[in-house]
Amino acid sequence: MSKELIRLRDLTMEFDGERILDGINLYINDHEFLTLLGPSGCGKTTTLRIIGGFLTPTSGTVTFDGKCINDVPPYERQINTVFQRYALFPHLNVFDNIAFGLRVAKLPKEEINQRVQEMLEIVSLKGYGHRRIQSLSGGQQQRVAIARALVNRPKVLLLDEPLGALDLRLRKDMQIELKRIQQAMGITFVYVTHDQEEALSMSDTVVVMDKGRIQQIGKPEDIYNEPKNAFVADFIGESNILDGVMLEDYKVRFFGRTFQCVDKGFAPNESVDVVIRPEDIDIVAPDEGHLVGTVTSVTFKGLNYDIIVEFKGFKWLIQTTDHCAEGSTIGIRLNPEDIHIMKKSEYSGMFGDYSSYSAEYDELTEDAGDEEE
Amino acid sequence: MKKANRILTILMFVFLYIPMVVLIVASFNTGKDITQFEGFTLKQYTELFRDEDLLGLLGNSILIALLSTAISVTFGTLAAVGIHRLKPKMRKLVMSLTNIPMTNPDIVTGVSLSLLFVFVGTGLLGNRESLNFGTLLIAHVTFGLPYVILNVMPKLQQMNPALTDAAMDLGCTPVQAFFKVIIHEIMPGIVSGGIMAFTMSLDDFVISYFVTGSDFVTLPVEIYTYTKKPIQPKVYAMFTLLFLLIAVLMVGMNLLQIRADRKKDSKRPESRGWRIAKRCVAGALVVALIVGGGFLFFGNRQEKIILNVKNWGMNMADGTDGTLDIIAAFEEKYPNIKVNMSYYESNEALYSQLKNGGITVDVIIPSDYMIDRMIKEGMLEKLNFDNIPNFRYVDEEPFKNQNSYDPTNEYSVPYTWGTVGILYNSKYVDEADVTGWELMWNENYAGKILMIDNSRDAMGIAQYLLGYDVNTMDKAQLQACADKLAQQRPLVQQYVMDQIYSTMENEEAWIAAYYAGDCMLMMENNPDLRFYLPEHQGFNRFTDAMCIPTCCKEKEAAELFINFLCDPEISGANMDYICYASPISEAKQYMEDYLAESDIIYPSKEVLAKGTAYRYLSEETSRFVEGLYQNATKTVDASGPDNGWIVPAVLIVVMAGTMVLLIVTRKRRKL
Repeated sequence: MSKELIRLRDLTMEFDGERILDGINLYINDHEFLTLLGPSGCGKTTTLRIIGGFLTPTSGTVTFDGKCINDVPPYERQINTVFQRYALFPHLNVFDNIAFGLRVAKLPKEEINQRVQEMLEIVSLKGYGHRRIQSLSGGQQQRVAIARALVNRPKVLLLDEPLGALDLRLRKDMQIELKRIQQAMGITFVYVTHDQEEALSMSDTVVVMDKGRIQQIGKPEDIYNEPKNAFVADFIGESNILDGVMLEDYKVRFFGRTFQCVDKGFAPNESVDVVIRPEDIDIVAPDEGHLVGTVTSVTFKGLNYDIIVEFKGFKWLIQTTDHCAEGSTIGIRLNPEDIHIMKKSEYSGMFGDYSSYSAEYDELTEDAGDEEE
Repeated sequence: MKKANRILTILMFVFLYIPMVVLIVASFNTGKDITQFEGFTLKQYTELFRDEDLLGLLGNSILIALLSTAISVTFGTLAAVGIHRLKPKMRKLVMSLTNIPMTNPDIVTGVSLSLLFVFVGTGLLGNRESLNFGTLLIAHVTFGLPYVILNVMPKLQQMNPALTDAAMDLGCTPVQAFFKVIIHEIMPGIVSGGIMAFTMSLDDFVISYFVTGSDFVTLPVEIYTYTKKPIQPKVYAMFTLLFLLIAVLMVGMNLLQIRADRKKDSKRPESRGWRIAKRCVAGALVVALIVGGGFLFFGNRQEKIILNVKNWGMNMADGTDGTLDIIAAFEEKYPNIKVNMSYYESNEALYSQLKNGGITVDVIIPSDYMIDRMIKEGMLEKLNFDNIPNFRYVDEEPFKNQNSYDPTNEYSVPYTWGTVGILYNSKYVDEADVTGWELMWNENYAGKILMIDNSRDAMGIAQYLLGYDVNTMDKAQLQACADKLAQQRPLVQQYVMDQIYSTMENEEAWIAAYYAGDCMLMMENNPDLRFYLPEHQGFNRFTDAMCIPTCCKEKEAAELFINFLCDPEISGANMDYICYASPISEAKQYMEDYLAESDIIYPSKEVLAKGTAYRYLSEETSRFVEGLYQNATKTVDASGPDNGWIVPAVLIVVMAGTMVLLIVTRKRRKL
């Protein structure tokens, strides 16, 4: 990774006595694609607005290129933003929207013209310059917003849920498009989203936030495979989280059995959270399994089935490509690398239990996430 | 049901627009009478455009409207932006505070502003002329401002707040963000607020009336003072043009809005030609405003002595109907003086305007008893008669000798004089009944009698009839007079001042008590009218005289002006217009013969000897008389015992029916 560009040090933010950010420490490298990920109200947009200069933190510092920029207003920062609902200027056409920043900077006319045309090409809107904003589709407006920000050649581009208003198909296309633009222009992206899939597929670094605190920072694979606590484990993908006891290094006991695992460094007999990803579980004949349970529900998901299996009164989610009939008894096997051990945290016991699982529940929480801050 | 709806809608428009139609028709009428359409003419319009005074007043109104709108729009928009940034609770509070001036009765706003201006201007800053162009402008801004705020706020609330962030993000300072982005978003609100402020300012009378100084008068205030005679038809022409102007403005705005809405949805880019045209129009408007405003503003402000004259309405020849334009003649003779004429409608109104203070007035022309009072209260300056050599032309008898109001001849120079008598229509009134003031009480003519509507003259008539002294302060006698007036009340059709013209000329009323000069004018228009002076009982003989109040600034110029008006030739020409008698006998040779020889205007010495003048009673008596007069006359319905209630009642029923029908049809459609 290249050099550090932005650093947030002990950021706190309070609105009317309510603490929105609680000690955020974070650095962002040049050319990095960093995503702030978390549910609504976790403080990710607030963090972004502080970086953009629209909010001044209650305490803590923001440094840019080594200089504190707490008191630098947004119009003097080498940072541009793509806003949640684009915030395009309705009284200007596409060309004038994109040229806005360059005109404020009083660049020569030919240069403005050339840079805007270049930008229109990059966001595949060539020939749309004279269109009115209101006549564009959501995806096109999105691209104008990106062009309007990028044409100023910022060092950092902030994107606040830029794809939130688009439908699924368009969102997927734009994810690829954004990644391409970021790599082509070689600038730092700070991306805010509540969509974990988006975060994992696009980012170099993911910052998982909740309740105004950073829960985990890491590469997408690390975040997924090595979640730090129950919140991260649950928020990134699906997880079965169980209470366990770490007997010694590489040995964990839960459900009355001792399993081999790959984790170490815990105190002997320390209580831990055990994470088992639904797709890692192998289904075998009942007599061959480490555990034996009963299938209580089956949902077809296209790529796989989501099945809920009851083990001794505790329900697990298992994702499998093989069909199991409801009511049948199955056995499962757990390989050492399928078991991930986490220290106990404030989130222990709050997630990872599928006893009240329903397919719609998932969708509901996702919708709620759309109304971010 | 649809058809019914349409018909009702049309009816509603008829109801709303019929007054305007009447006005427009009247502006094209050949005849002077509103009740009869005699033929089509554009005369009123040509006369309007020849009347520089009227156009000047219109210019004043437009100037103040433009300036106050510009200021209201600027500060209103800024205020709205500020209010918008407040926390919601605070915002609500501030908004209701800014809305109060709009719901406040105009009269309350007007009086309180006037008090404030006089208090600050005269009281704190020691400026005698505390009511002026500036105060009028401030007043108009105070009531224009809330309309702008009210119109801009919703636009700010509808605006995506991220737009400001976006602009700042792209390098705009907050000020740049306002001008490059926000202002475009809230422009419709600014424009509609501006138009509201403009029209409110243009037609405001009540507030302006209280804060207008003598240096700058707007059209509505001036028109209100045209009370001595009916409004001239050219004023209809002006109103028609004003109405059309505003109508065009509003329709144009709506068309633009519709166009803009349509454009928003269309995929076609805005054509370059249209954009350029739009900018050109906007540019031309701004240039026109600045040039026009500047011209009006500085055109009014030459390096001249401004002489402020307060006069009765229509009490000086102004060039209409072939008379001499006295002001123009004076200004021609003294090119460094500009006469600024304003008007009052009664002696009492003049008195209170001067007492309230805050204005500069150089010459006034009150009546005898009021001069008496003003001298006693120290409101008049002594005149320097070295500057008024023409005073020598003024008749000794009775003006210089023992006049009732200014016995030492130090404060006043008479302007006109006249008598109060009875005007009757010989077609309907039996000559045998014309025996004295009792004609006004004759039951045979019940409902056809007009009584003069001011306390002093009305009580005077009763006093002459009962044989009392007109200057009595005996309360019992005054009470008896009031009883007499109360007894007359059922017979009286209306208590009038200037409405007397149309009513008598149209023969809607047959008997009236009024000033001889005005009676003379009415007789010219209706040959059946006769004038009668009840010599044996007595009658009022009044004198209006020119004085200089203590709030004057240009005393010497004022004396020049008084001197000018005493020139026999000028006085004679003046009387041709006002139809009153001149206190200068030599003026008669310059008057039209029929006036100079009229025994209505100039009764014989013997007759005149029977007339008496009003003198100032004490303040307490004046108030007592006023009270008695109001009690004796007020409860009479001015429209008389006719069926005047039918039209409004029918209209209300129709409107109510419309509402019910609309509600019923709406409900049925829902079902």
